[in-house]
Amino acid sequence: MLPGDFEFKRLKPSKKQMVLLSIAGFFGLLVFSGIVIVLTFVLTAWMNGQPIIFANEGPEQPIVFPHKKHVEELGMDCTFCHRGVDKEAAAHVPTTGLCMTCHSAVGDGLDGITKMRSLYEDDRSIHWIRVHRVPDHVHFVHEAHIRYFSEKEGVEASAVCSKCHGDVANMEEVHGTEDGRVKQVEPLKMGHCVDCHKQHNAPTDCATCHY
Amino acid sequence: MAQESHKWGMVIDIDRCTGCNACVIACQSENNIPINLEAHFNQRRAIQWIRIERYWEGEFPNVKARFIPIICQHCGNAPCEPVCPVYATYHNNEGLNVQVYNRCVGTRFCANGCPYHVRFFNFWEPEWPESLKNQLNPDVTVRSRGIMEKCTFCVQRIRRATRLADRDSVELEDGDRALNPACVNSCATNGLIFGDWNDPDSQINQIKNKEMQEGGRAFGLLENLGTSPNVIYLKQVDESAEGHHGH
Repeated sequence: MLPGDFEFKRLKPSKKQMVLLSIAGFFGLLVFSGIVIVLTFVLTAWMNGQPIIFANEGPEQPIVFPHKKHVEELGMDCTFCHRGVDKEAAAHVPTTGLCMTCHSAVGDGLDGITKMRSLYEDDRSIHWIRVHRVPDHVHFVHEAHIRYFSEKEGVEASAVCSKCHGDVANMEEVHGTEDGRVKQVEPLKMGHCVDCHKQHNAPTDCATCHY
Repeated sequence: MAQESHKWGMVIDIDRCTGCNACVIACQSENNIPINLEAHFNQRRAIQWIRIERYWEGEFPNVKARFIPIICQHCGNAPCEPVCPVYATYHNNEGLNVQVYNRCVGTRFCANGCPYHVRFFNFWEPEWPESLKNQLNPDVTVRSRGIMEKCTFCVQRIRRATRLADRDSVELEDGDRALNPACVNSCATNGLIFGDWNDPDSQINQIKNKEMQEGGRAFGLLENLGTSPNVIYLKQVDESAEGHHGH
């Protein structure tokens, strides 16, 4: 020990302090791992474009609409109800008036039909929850995409839809639930769009979609 | 208009401009531009993709009002483009100076570079009165706070017109009202003419060929800066000027 040096007094926590420290440490660890787990979920969800944490069931809709019944069993085309899809930018969700072309005669006694009819009589619309949505700065035009694939590549309209929307007709089976909720299966992020645009020599200029 | 690539441009005839501001209003409603309040003008933060600059000339009572509509010139050699650190503004293959809203981080370098003062920064979140919210154009992005915006030559109208022409297997028509920007459609005196420089028969090319000759009225705004604008102006015909004998 040289003169001028000084020795630290070795701190020895008391028993009470030890308990407090260990409790604080335990909670600190808990909070930290919580943050890590949440971040992992958020980041993977963001990268895959899937809804955050286990929730890829699709939202619960105001009326249980069986796509399977209409498409698989009755053989209706997507364009029969989503009438704008091969004509305009928006695909259109049908109005209750369009539902009533058939359902004024068929489907008596079914819960969904009863609800839809009462809404129709009150001149109200069904407040469907939107599943597929691109940000506001993206201008997606359904018509051009349907036209390209059906004219240039001879793909049937309903097959074109499934390229981005998945097999909507069979979505209830995938889940094993009865209320065939429509869910988003493709990420619908810009990379997804650009990949396909490059494959098909479609324009990749920013101002094609962003304006 | 048979050519594959377009080079959109405009001719602005100052002689026809009455300063009525219809183009400003048309642009405002077509492109979802928020309402400019007096305070915004006083702060020099008003957003007008097209504006009418007014100059007074002479002494009372022989005073003259001079008007000049100013829009983004979609310069071939644009000073705003190389300064963008995130490549949010660039020149596309249709001769448009494009502003990509989702890329812009709001450095405002481009606005500093622009000699025409036609780039605008969103200093606030855009707001509309409740009664006007349903008139927003769904084909145009509502720009949020913190990003630049500018005249797009109504690219949404160009996109729609080209898509519909493609669908119906017809060629784009020069001067088609569905293709023209909102300002051009609204001009009561046809002072603004929109077209394709790559189309040799387009109206703007005919005017250019005629007015670029000796004694013609064509000039480019601040063209000495070397910006090579895609918009050309036609001088005002001043009847009181010396050497002018009237028509």
